[in-house]
Amino acid sequence: MAVEITFDELRTQALQAGLKLADEELQKLLPGVNRARRQAAELRELLSDRSEPAGIFTPLKVDRV
Amino acid sequence: MTANDLSYLTISEAAAGLRRKEFSPLELTKACLARIEAIDGKLHSFITLTADLALRQAEQAERELQSGKDRGPLHGIPIALKDLYATKGIRTTCHSAVLEHWIPDHDATAVTKLQEAGAILLGKLGMHEFAFGGPSVDAPFPAARNPWNRAHIPGGSSSGSGAALAAGFCYGALGSDTGGSIRTPSSHCGIVGIKPTYDRVSRSGVVPLSWSLDHAGPMARRVEDCAILLQAIAGHGAGDPVSAHVAVPDFRAQLKDGINGLRVGVPRAGWFNENLGIDPQTEALFNQALQTLASLGAVIVEIDGKPFSIARKANQTILVCEAYAYHEKTYQESPMKFGTAVRRRMLEGAFLSATDYITAQRARTVLNERIRANFTNVDVFAVPGAARPPEAFEGMDPNEQHLRPNFTNPFNLTGLPAISVPCGFTPGNLPAGLQIVAQPFEESTCFRVAYAYEQATEWHERRPAL
Repeated sequence: MAVEITFDELRTQALQAGLKLADEELQKLLPGVNRARRQAAELRELLSDRSEPAGIFTPLKVDRV
Repeated sequence: MTANDLSYLTISEAAAGLRRKEFSPLELTKACLARIEAIDGKLHSFITLTADLALRQAEQAERELQSGKDRGPLHGIPIALKDLYATKGIRTTCHSAVLEHWIPDHDATAVTKLQEAGAILLGKLGMHEFAFGGPSVDAPFPAARNPWNRAHIPGGSSSGSGAALAAGFCYGALGSDTGGSIRTPSSHCGIVGIKPTYDRVSRSGVVPLSWSLDHAGPMARRVEDCAILLQAIAGHGAGDPVSAHVAVPDFRAQLKDGINGLRVGVPRAGWFNENLGIDPQTEALFNQALQTLASLGAVIVEIDGKPFSIARKANQTILVCEAYAYHEKTYQESPMKFGTAVRRRMLEGAFLSATDYITAQRARTVLNERIRANFTNVDVFAVPGAARPPEAFEGMDPNEQHLRPNFTNPFNLTGLPAISVPCGFTPGNLPAGLQIVAQPFEESTCFRVAYAYEQATEWHERRPAL
């Protein structure tokens, strides 16, 4: 899957996400969305098979329920 | 003592003066309110002023202190809150049209703790909309301006907190920090602000931006004042789901212990020169600050900055995903209720995948290990509070922040405590900050180093001409 998306792909994804945005708004969004997607993709280079996500699930920690 | 002199007392000076009966809580409060009335029309630091409440609380503090009921150093001290702390019966807007008329039926835990400590609430402070995206030009309230030069931003997102303190409107304030929102305005306004360790201060009742990166914390004009404020708000409360079960030490106990032999790590290589790099004037002030630390006995050690540089990518990925998750329903129903700046940034989270988010959380583990591994060789990190002086509103480029190193958000990703203390002024008379970062729950070390630096310099003595 390509990291960057086109304007048409952005428009489709916006509709799928339930967002009703004008084309002009989507056009202004596109550079930031692609920068965010590139940034997220670059993080994969850091990971090994043993890398677990941060954040802890603690079943006994009842006061977080 | 003039009303202006009263307004610029430190918390510890004001507390001592109250107990010597040199002035009363009512006089302190009236001095603050008069100054706000006279000057804040030019700075826009407050969204909601709670003058009547403040005067009632001041009268109560006066009665209590006179009758010998002393709640500690914040008793009778006027403070203010970033407008994302829920306040029962008082409008809490997050500087947004979305919450323009929201009146909470509860207080944030930190607000309750300040009330119990006897602090007086002057009002709610302006911020970047929902603590994100930059100064809001299309929000229902004007953007706060920098007291050192009103043509410039005060930094954000706790912009009103920074501006109000530098202007002498209050003695302390609360901010919040998800990527630098306490430390950047502290640096840009020439004041002190600490982002404590993640979960050191309860986030209960603080409107979230990004649950796993948000930190609540204090801002003030002096290091000791920040320690006093943190003392009041830190710690786990009964039934409080979002604060750490870790003992709270006396944050002032080590304040005057000095820094002889302290090893200060500077993660310069691979970070400070990222893209456009650090502003040369800012780096010069930072280097002078390192020399001062060395003159106090610290040992300066250069360390690898690359993991710090990469941390921004993980921080921003997590931030936009969590922020969009929180606001998704409002975005779907009425996206144009959000201002332009926050709308564009937060919507990035709508177009990242679950895999992207989990990858960023996995990278967070890796980067946390790499960054914290440095603590075998150094005791603290020192970095600038911001990569450049505060920008002018006119011609501000919202994309430039992506092209400079971000010196604050690695410490949201890692949850490490980080304090910004004034470290000088540019030739254009705009403030800069020195940031000191310590190991988890070692805020006392941040305070000790920052206090030693503060006492060796005179930057905190300066006041803006207003």
